Amino acid sequence: MTTTAQGKTAVSSVIEIRGLSKDFGEGRGVFDLELDVDPGEILGFLGPNGAGKSTTMRMLLGLIRPTGGRASVLGSDIASGSLEIRRRTGYLAGDFGLYGQLTGRRMLNHLAALHGGVSAGAIDELGERFDASLDRPIRDLSTGNRQKVGLIQALMHRPELLILDEPIAGLDPLVQRNFHELLREVRAEGRSVFLSSHTLSEVDRVADRVAILRQGRLVVVDSLEHLRALAVRRLDIEFARPPDPAEFRAIPGVRTAETAGTLLHVSFEGSADAVVKAAAAHDVLSIRSREDELEEIFLRYYQKDAR
Amino acid sequence: MNATARMELRLRYRTAASAGVGLVIVIMIVGALYPSLKDTFGKLNVPQGVANLLGGADYSTLTGWLQSEIIATYGPLVFCAVAIATASSTTAGDEDDRVLAILLAHPVARTQLLLAKTLALTILIVAVSIATWIGLIIGVAIAGGGISSAHLAAQSLHLGLLGLALGTLALALGASTGRKPIAAGGAAGVAILGFLLNGLAPLIGAVSWTQYLSPFYYYASGRPLTNGAQWQHLAVLAAASFALIGVAVAGFRRRDLRG
Repeated sequence: MTTTAQGKTAVSSVIEIRGLSKDFGEGRGVFDLELDVDPGEILGFLGPNGAGKSTTMRMLLGLIRPTGGRASVLGSDIASGSLEIRRRTGYLAGDFGLYGQLTGRRMLNHLAALHGGVSAGAIDELGERFDASLDRPIRDLSTGNRQKVGLIQALMHRPELLILDEPIAGLDPLVQRNFHELLREVRAEGRSVFLSSHTLSEVDRVADRVAILRQGRLVVVDSLEHLRALAVRRLDIEFARPPDPAEFRAIPGVRTAETAGTLLHVSFEGSADAVVKAAAAHDVLSIRSREDELEEIFLRYYQKDAR
Repeated sequence: MNATARMELRLRYRTAASAGVGLVIVIMIVGALYPSLKDTFGKLNVPQGVANLLGGADYSTLTGWLQSEIIATYGPLVFCAVAIATASSTTAGDEDDRVLAILLAHPVARTQLLLAKTLALTILIVAVSIATWIGLIIGVAIAGGGISSAHLAAQSLHLGLLGLALGTLALALGASTGRKPIAAGGAAGVAILGFLLNGLAPLIGAVSWTQYLSPFYYYASGRPLTNGAQWQHLAVLAAASFALIGVAVAGFRRRDLRG
């Protein structure tokens, strides 16, 4: 917490992670994580299964204890202020259970009681919004309907921060859209969302920034626009005569160069200048440029040799 | 009572209720059989070790009959089963089902959650004890009377505290490991071992002292049906239960939840 010149108390970062580690041994876990989530921001937390996304989130909630480093959520330390954090945060676990013999409504009322109650109508309102069946025993519900109960329990007390571990798993596209809309409303109210996923398309529409985790280490934290700008560019150049791909592979920044008859497919990072100048030494018939799909950028970060 | 304890009672009363009803019915049947069977059996001539395990094997008095039919094996079996099943599902069972992580993502302290669950466990055991007491009063009346309701209450109290001791053991194992097989299996193992130890250890001079390690010694050796409540023995069971609750809280507080 910092105090601004106006005397108002403001939270500098909603989530502040400093050197946080959880070492499970044999190279598994999360290591030296440094990450901030700002007020009013939706941060997408990406990485393949097993990268450590859930572990990080579970540490923030105090469900597991770090082996190193520290973190604070909404100004409270995760070790000493866990109750305060949990009072002001909504959490949806990636894999959670509910008491199957209860109805969704009864389960939610119980969880609301742990908060000392939630505002009247909050559960019904969210239930309608997600078209959830709250009056059937949870054990009879489909995966998607159970997930809705999970979402409602994370949202019903209007928390300042949402920590959501793969929230749209099992939801149909219409509900997914409702959910994304709701996240945008949450952001518009200045509340924050820390959202994990193993696919980019899930967070693409809502996230302001993304953090990519691979094998327990943060690979990149950046805005989606900036990551798009970093994309590998591709040129398809048609020559009058078959070109020699080796000549293009030798150019710094070029990742691949392949020929198909008189056509050259070349991919490169950074400026197109060197590639175009090299091509200009030959008879060029046409040049076509295309950008990498965003998903490919992420796959590259996921891969072992990426850095 | 807080929300967690109320929810626990709602979720888990069925096991205790069916056990309590079953126990009352069996006690009444045993009471009803006594008048016609007392002259048939008399005092069985069996080895001392078998007699110890069977609660005396003396069928010539109503006390001996109840001791053998209900108090020595069936009653403790039901109490231990209810307590261990409830305690292991309320801790490790909830963790296995991944409900515990949802509950603890809301503002409730681990200690508070565990103590509320312990309170619910205790209430259920007390309820089965009271049912047993009422069952014994009815059963003794059917058999023709002869045992004071104070002694029947004492017997029910001994059963309840035996159940609580084994239940809190399951609670401690479940809360510290999060694994139901360890919680239920460990406590059941201790119950069976304790039962055999209390019956057989006295026969072997060199190890006879080990019966004092058995919860069944503090449950049975004072013969509460005959002698009334054995307060020192009850205190040992209560102290063990409190200590095990302490172990459960300590083990649960700092541990990583599975999930």
